Amino acid sequence: MTGEVLRILLLALQLGFVAILYLILLGFARSLMRDLRSAEAQQLASRTGIGRLAVLESPDDEPPAGTTISLGPINSIGRNVNNTIYVEDDFASASHAMLTFRGRSWFVEDQGSTNGTYVNGHRIDRPVALSYGDEIMIGRVRMRLER
Amino acid sequence: MRLTLAWRWAELRMLLPLAILVPLGFFVTHVAREGVLEAGSLTLAMGYLALMLAAHAILVLSGQRGDQLLLPLVATIGGVGLVMLNRLAPEVETTQAFGLQLDVAQTQLLWFSVGTVAMLVVAAGLRDDGPLRHYKYTWAALGIGMLVFTALFGFEVNGARLWVALGPIAVQPGEFVKIVLVIFIAGYLADNRALLTEASLRIGPIRVPPLPYLLPMLALFGVVMLVVVRQNDLGQALLLFGIFLTMLFVATGRRSYVLIGLLLFVAGVFVAYRLFPHVAVRVDIWIDPFADPTDRGFQPIRGLFAFARGGLFGEGLGQGLPSSIPLVHTDFIFAAIAEELGLIGAFAVLALFLTFVFRGLRIAMLARDEFSALLAVGITASLGLQTLIIVAGNLKLIPLTGITLPFVSYGGSSILASFLMIGLLLSVSHRTARAIDREQGLPDR
Repeated sequence: MTGEVLRILLLALQLGFVAILYLILLGFARSLMRDLRSAEAQQLASRTGIGRLAVLESPDDEPPAGTTISLGPINSIGRNVNNTIYVEDDFASASHAMLTFRGRSWFVEDQGSTNGTYVNGHRIDRPVALSYGDEIMIGRVRMRLER
Repeated sequence: MRLTLAWRWAELRMLLPLAILVPLGFFVTHVAREGVLEAGSLTLAMGYLALMLAAHAILVLSGQRGDQLLLPLVATIGGVGLVMLNRLAPEVETTQAFGLQLDVAQTQLLWFSVGTVAMLVVAAGLRDDGPLRHYKYTWAALGIGMLVFTALFGFEVNGARLWVALGPIAVQPGEFVKIVLVIFIAGYLADNRALLTEASLRIGPIRVPPLPYLLPMLALFGVVMLVVVRQNDLGQALLLFGIFLTMLFVATGRRSYVLIGLLLFVAGVFVAYRLFPHVAVRVDIWIDPFADPTDRGFQPIRGLFAFARGGLFGEGLGQGLPSSIPLVHTDFIFAAIAEELGLIGAFAVLALFLTFVFRGLRIAMLARDEFSALLAVGITASLGLQTLIIVAGNLKLIPLTGITLPFVSYGGSSILASFLMIGLLLSVSHRTARAIDREQGLPDR
């Protein structure tokens, strides 16, 4: 008789174990649903742009360090205020570099600047394909290409 | 200065149910085994809970802003694994370490601790991807070095030379080669993605990948595959190949690469079947294990019987016969889960892995730079494919290969490597969260 009771109890406990496992899963599923509606996900969905530049270093603070610049398909960079990306830096040229999105990739090309354009620390002498995460340096302004 | 902590409430909330789950598993096992209604020793279960809560506390204190579901997911999967190993412990061999006689569950908890520390160190220490991305060739060299060292000085267990003795402990370097290879491929693809997607040669209607740019990666990959196949580590070879193709596809978006890769794989398998007897044996067992039921087919047949005994609701923890399967605590732990927890329990475990993969891919999608995204994809693919390969092997859907079920199977190297990967995922996720903060003008924490 006690053996029988024990067996039923054991079965109940056993099913309880699996039930808790499923409750935990339900919790995970709810967290996933919540995150799908979160600000992060909205940002992901609204990320229609092709890329942006995060300004990492900027001694004269134009563009300010720590900000992010949204990019169009063609961006000119330089000290002239008519550039799409205006860089106020003593070591940047008036028309310094072009940053363009062609096909499925980003390219950067130096426009004959005095102090050169650097990609990941190397001076470039022709158009160079960039991938997200690469760093470009215009004068003393260091920026990173991000999605 | 006011100290502002980034609380991780979602993480804590998802960790708390484990305080019931794991002790209950130990309790059920004890009652079933002894036939009396008493609690038995819950030391291991409590130790495990303390470990996971400590990990949570350290993540909060170190200002970790990364994904909050990773730790609870891993802790739940690992918790089920620990319950299973505790149930198997009296029936499989013990290990002698540091003058103590430890059973598999105790040893596993020890490795969980080592792994958790490694995860926390990576998550907290790797705030910048530079060390990984810029030294990718160094990492690749390290990986090849580990493999060659194993091939030369390693020792064999169960027909595969995968082990290296490091003092009193045996280490499987292959588990860590996976991580190193993912880092290398992510770094290489991030630097050369534009070339790989844009440039291509046309031969007739087929677009051929630009070989010169692929060559360094193919060469390294070839070396790794050669060594792995020579070592008779077929599961690892399949896994690495899967990771490689997944990452290549994600980076380039070109189906032709996957197609060419799969064709090469089929050709490779055919050649291996003809050339290496141990491959042929694996395939023959898979096609008909009942041809040699007492020797080579013994393990897979026992595995299938375990699945059959388990049925829908399982035999109950401690009430099945999982230890009738040779190597049940490493290769066949999924069969043991299916036997004692049934199809419903096995499904729950698979769903946990699925959630993990979903989470990993989400981290990759949110990542701001290519290297981080590819790293996250590679790690997710690694753990996901590993699960797929061993579970399908247990079920006789594909030939059985001796790899581990992440966080569940018994084995120090596997646990440590898996936790290191979680650490890398956390660091990727943390960097993304910081980037979002920056854009919204929030100060750096």
